Amino acid sequence: MTKQRLNLESPWPHRLAVLLVCATFPLIWVGGLVTTYDAGMAVPDWPSTFGYNLFAYPWQTWLFGPWDLFIEHGHRLLGALVGCIAIAFVCSVWRNDHRFGMRAAAFMALGLVIVQGALGGARVLLDERQLAMVHGCVGPAFFGYCVALAVITSSKWKPVERDVAKSSPQRLHRVAFLTVVFVYLQLVIGAQLRHVSVMASPGVFRAAVLFHLFMAVVVIFHVFQLLLIVKQHYGSVTPLQAPVTWLAALFLMQVALGCAAWVVKYGWPEFIAQYSFAAPHTIHAKSLFQSLVVTSHVAMGSLILAFSVTVLARAVRLVRMPTVALGSSAFILELAG
Amino acid sequence: MVMMSKWMWRLTPLCFRSHKNCPAADSGIPVLAMKNMSLCFPSSIRTLPLLGRVVFALWLAAVVGCTTKAEFSQNAVYILKQERELDAEFSDQQKRDLAEILAGMFGTPDAPNVPKLGDVEIAKVLDATHLHVASGPVSSDERGRARGLYREHCAHCHGVTGDGAGPTASFLNPYPRDYRMGVFKFKSTPEGGKPTHEDLKDILTNGIPGTAMPSFKVLPNNEIEALISYVRYLSIRGEVERELVYLTADLVKGERLLKMAGTGRSEQAASLREVAAGVVQKWIDADLQATPIAPPDADRDLAASIKHGRDLFYGPIANCVKCHGDSALGDGQKSDYDDWTKELEPTNEEALEQFLGLGRFILPPRNIHPRNLRQGVFRGGRRPIDLYRRIHNGIDGTPMPGSFVLKADAPAGTKGLTKDDIWSLVDYVRSLPYESISRPPVIEQAYQRERL
Repeated sequence: MTKQRLNLESPWPHRLAVLLVCATFPLIWVGGLVTTYDAGMAVPDWPSTFGYNLFAYPWQTWLFGPWDLFIEHGHRLLGALVGCIAIAFVCSVWRNDHRFGMRAAAFMALGLVIVQGALGGARVLLDERQLAMVHGCVGPAFFGYCVALAVITSSKWKPVERDVAKSSPQRLHRVAFLTVVFVYLQLVIGAQLRHVSVMASPGVFRAAVLFHLFMAVVVIFHVFQLLLIVKQHYGSVTPLQAPVTWLAALFLMQVALGCAAWVVKYGWPEFIAQYSFAAPHTIHAKSLFQSLVVTSHVAMGSLILAFSVTVLARAVRLVRMPTVALGSSAFILELAG
Repeated sequence: MVMMSKWMWRLTPLCFRSHKNCPAADSGIPVLAMKNMSLCFPSSIRTLPLLGRVVFALWLAAVVGCTTKAEFSQNAVYILKQERELDAEFSDQQKRDLAEILAGMFGTPDAPNVPKLGDVEIAKVLDATHLHVASGPVSSDERGRARGLYREHCAHCHGVTGDGAGPTASFLNPYPRDYRMGVFKFKSTPEGGKPTHEDLKDILTNGIPGTAMPSFKVLPNNEIEALISYVRYLSIRGEVERELVYLTADLVKGERLLKMAGTGRSEQAASLREVAAGVVQKWIDADLQATPIAPPDADRDLAASIKHGRDLFYGPIANCVKCHGDSALGDGQKSDYDDWTKELEPTNEEALEQFLGLGRFILPPRNIHPRNLRQGVFRGGRRPIDLYRRIHNGIDGTPMPGSFVLKADAPAGTKGLTKDDIWSLVDYVRSLPYESISRPPVIEQAYQRERL
């Protein structure tokens, strides 16, 4: 296995992985807007748009037509774009990287796009809100996966200068992994809240809200534990420092956005509503401000997932895990090129 | 191969070997283990097996178990109330009859029906086109014409049946309105009257400050009209249901409502239509019942009017102080309930337990709190005319009563408020946010004794 054969120097897999991330984030934003505006059924057919081929739909009607149609069709176009980038990524990896795992990972990205598209299509064809929720859960998972691909294809991933830490790296790995798991679970509960059925009982929504709050506490505990571990023990590992700091900062912003989302959607909680500043608050349904705050909360959740995945990937890569037999370092060096 | 497997673990927990033969088996827990394939979680998941399982189970239950088919639910509270009051017991057949009659008259949430009521001009309050637009699942066409407006904007709080027990209801205070009693708080008609078209439009357009009821200013007029029509539809349906429940409760056990209505099908239908016609007529009449309001004398002495209003506020006739409190902070009596909650008989523990046992859609009772008048925030509107209406007509369904308004020729000494008195109260209430709370007006001792 030579460096030439692997051709790991090609920047294209990484470039395309980054492009995939950059295209997926707005896709999540627009997907969030579709839910916020209840525009999921603005186009009743799939994969066509009102009988037109997706790409042949008159752009004038799309851009200057109803708002719901604009965001739903835009969401589909962006999804198609992400699919095309995923295909390009697969081709690039196939051409430049002969490792089975990497190729499998690239195909998995494409598979996820296809599954996600099919879920979106099924949601429309069956007019099933619960499928929209599953679609909303797979979206961030795909985004997190793309971020992981961007991290492992980057040039910084290749030099394997593992930091042999004095403290137990297992703790770092465990906290980083659990952070990813809990952040994702938090997104899943959030999707549940956003897609709650109108026939659900008040108890279902109540349980979901309380669970969302509980999970926020769990996530904040893990995020700051992670920050503490990295700052205390891995201060010299720059690739870990930056994302973990961003993760903590974004999470604080997310808490603020979550509170704001509740206030713009349901008003101030009772214990605050009695104060003069809160008493006159009137909710403006479907206003631009409300939509931006609520959708930002959704998108920020995905961004947090992206950073937690980055931290996990880099932690696993950069910090040795002595308890697990990782194989000879010579092999890893060989893989890294 | 061993090395490859270990290396693959770095990228994905998916391994194309049996878990038993996996070189990295110690670091993973198999979630899917087949002959030639295994999918593992890292072993650190062991730290939270129970929580993980609970989360997964909840998610799965929510995805798989939640019904999304919208259906009207029966007014179980009112049925139980009638059963308790009349010592009656509704048979399953009687309950089925109620559901069938209502479905026949009013249709379903996806396909609402405007019943034909002979001479009663139901089209004045229920427009079939508007109902079609507001009902059904949420969608829109290429021209942006929406459908399912009620489910998009209202049902999450007010519920598909309009029972005020939508998914979000338990977090909201006050609870969302249960339309089925046909009682609305903020309106221009006298106590007990239905709201006018304009009253409903005002609430939908402006929202209710300090509550979760939003303003739908961004919606086009035709969509607001569709929602008004649908709210009326749910109210009328709910009121007719109550009438039918009331009639059924009077029957001998097991006797069917349809038989009581008549022997022939047309006779039965006519009899039931009569019930619905009585309800609908009240809604038609409402638009002509708005309380006429003469504007206040523009040349009045405002300071004197405020002082007079204050005297009335603390006086025995208006007696606002009883609920709104000496300081007008809304800290008078706080133990009362609104009419919707009173149906649950909240002060009767045994009855309350029975009502709460009816299912997951029954919300626990909450006390109704009088408004803090010093914040200058009034839920039914802050214009003088809005305050006049609240004082004149009261707030239906709540302990806020309407006024006994004296006619111009009323004999001296008759207890009640004149129209000028009401305007003085309006002036005083509007001045309260600017009045120093540290120097509350001296209450006449005699009156204080009377209150005690």
